[in-house]
Amino acid sequence: MGNFIGFNRKGKTGGWLATAILLLLAEFCLSLFIGKYPIKLADLQAGDVQAWNVFFTLRLPRTCMAAAGGFGLGAAGEVYQMVFRNPLAAPDVVGVSSGASAGAAAAILFLSAAPGMVAAGAFVGGLLAVLLALGLSALASGRGHASIALAGVAVHALAQTVLMVLKLTADPEKELASIEYWIMGSLNAVTLSKILIPLLLCGVGLAVLFLLYRQILLLSVEEEEARLLGVSVGRMRLLILFCATLAVTAVVSVTGLISFIGLLAPHTARLLCRESGLPALWLSGLLGGVLLSGADMLARSIASAELPVSIFTLLLGAPFLIYLMMRKEG
Amino acid sequence: MEQAFFMVENICAAHRTGFSLREVSFSVEAGTLTALLGANGSGKTTLLRAICQQMRHEGSSRLQTGTIHAGQGRGAGIQSGVTLESLSMRSLARLISYIPQHTGISMAMSVLDVVLMGFNPWLGLLEKPDGGQRRQARQALEMLGLGTYIQRDYRSLSEGQKGLVILARTLVEDARLLLMDEPDSALDFPNRYAIMEKIAGMVKGYAKAGILSPHDPALAMTFCDKMILLKEGRCIGQLRPRIDGIPEMEAALRQIYGPVSLIACKRKKREHLVLLWDQEGDRNGTSNSGFSV
Repeated sequence: MGNFIGFNRKGKTGGWLATAILLLLAEFCLSLFIGKYPIKLADLQAGDVQAWNVFFTLRLPRTCMAAAGGFGLGAAGEVYQMVFRNPLAAPDVVGVSSGASAGAAAAILFLSAAPGMVAAGAFVGGLLAVLLALGLSALASGRGHASIALAGVAVHALAQTVLMVLKLTADPEKELASIEYWIMGSLNAVTLSKILIPLLLCGVGLAVLFLLYRQILLLSVEEEEARLLGVSVGRMRLLILFCATLAVTAVVSVTGLISFIGLLAPHTARLLCRESGLPALWLSGLLGGVLLSGADMLARSIASAELPVSIFTLLLGAPFLIYLMMRKEG
Repeated sequence: MEQAFFMVENICAAHRTGFSLREVSFSVEAGTLTALLGANGSGKTTLLRAICQQMRHEGSSRLQTGTIHAGQGRGAGIQSGVTLESLSMRSLARLISYIPQHTGISMAMSVLDVVLMGFNPWLGLLEKPDGGQRRQARQALEMLGLGTYIQRDYRSLSEGQKGLVILARTLVEDARLLLMDEPDSALDFPNRYAIMEKIAGMVKGYAKAGILSPHDPALAMTFCDKMILLKEGRCIGQLRPRIDGIPEMEAALRQIYGPVSLIACKRKKREHLVLLWDQEGDRNGTSNSGFSV
């Protein structure tokens, strides 16, 4: 395992990775048995058809989506921060989330509120926004990561405007409610058939990021310095941002917006292992999975109605991040 | 040693700000350090950027690799007489090691990871530094006295230690040409000299050629073999600190720095050159401060 993840040094990082894996596994198992329809291990062993049905079509996909989606958001968040060389960089910087929101809203208004359609709309919207931002920054040549961030902010504003117009034209009873609900994010609608393609796309994006991680580290230094270290900065940055965005958009298209994981998981990972190597990327992903799984379990068990998952990612994550920041150095 | 290793020929470059570099030419010998001297805005950084192909320019930087010692392994693949302008970015990265004023590492990163970046020009896209390269990186850090900092976060080091880490990276990069943009600017007095001693040792020990724009001209006079004087984008002269006469050098330095005097003093059997700011210099009569003593 150690060598597989490029981690062959002694230290606390190994311990944290093991802790995160165990925590995620525990949550995974627990999550399978929590929800509106109670499933007991005994029912499954007894071959209860209804229990198995719920288990396979609802509980297992939802649990997988929470773990894998959280992993994708956490790992991609780490990559955004490295490439933009900014600890506050998040998918929003390149306009992903607002693009996806606008896409989802457009799908709800013009196509149908069927979850598959909304997911497709969000995916297309998010990806379009990023391609637009990257294209704009390529036109303004020579300004590096700052120009991508600026173009992203512009696209973000544009997508927000589109979203606002769409909301204005939406029927407040049904359509507006679905739009708002999508924006708040939930894993409520996850079923087996809906997650296969998104998880595959997310996996492809993440695989490229993990393979190219050495280049991502190199992109976090000054642009000219990186170029003289043999990195084709422009092309590599586009490729990596595209893959990170692919992963995020794939997840978000199914779950709706999930705030904060992309920001919180990388910071926590870095505060714990005090570096940004490949282990930090793994840890960031695992922590994202832990956070989203935990938040989703709370979202579906705390009240009689499903609550938006973002409430819990914020409630769980923010205090922890503050605690880590306050903890003494060393 | 006397044969030119690297030649800068008629480099002209223009900035958007209106500043331009006009027909700068000089040559650099293997195993020597060359300093670019000039006031702020005289074109030092622009020239360095043009040489390492980070800025559009005319003219060329030509390599005479015929003078590379045999057995210098990895750099030997480049033909003599080739211009840097014609090389791919990757070959350029193998040939040049660039030490910036600030590395811009803003994310937590272990010192070892920073040094391992130096192997990138020699690695495939998906390749990782192997055990031997990791050992080499550790050795470079140990050689520079940073053996105990290998796992530390780069950002937590002092400026002097950061400079040494970048130097360790340069060491593993094994490039023949070192370009340094004010490597001393963030360092305090003892660290400036310590790091320049290491740079000079590296350049001489491995027959590299080094070009730097020192923040402090005293460093150039202590460590460099040649000084290129730049003023308003033009090369107005060259000096060899241990060869040229003091009055001659003083006159040349006055052209770029204004009222300065150069003093030579002997200490521990070595001659040291000290540059002093000459208050009375050319300000006589035009006392614009309004004070009189």
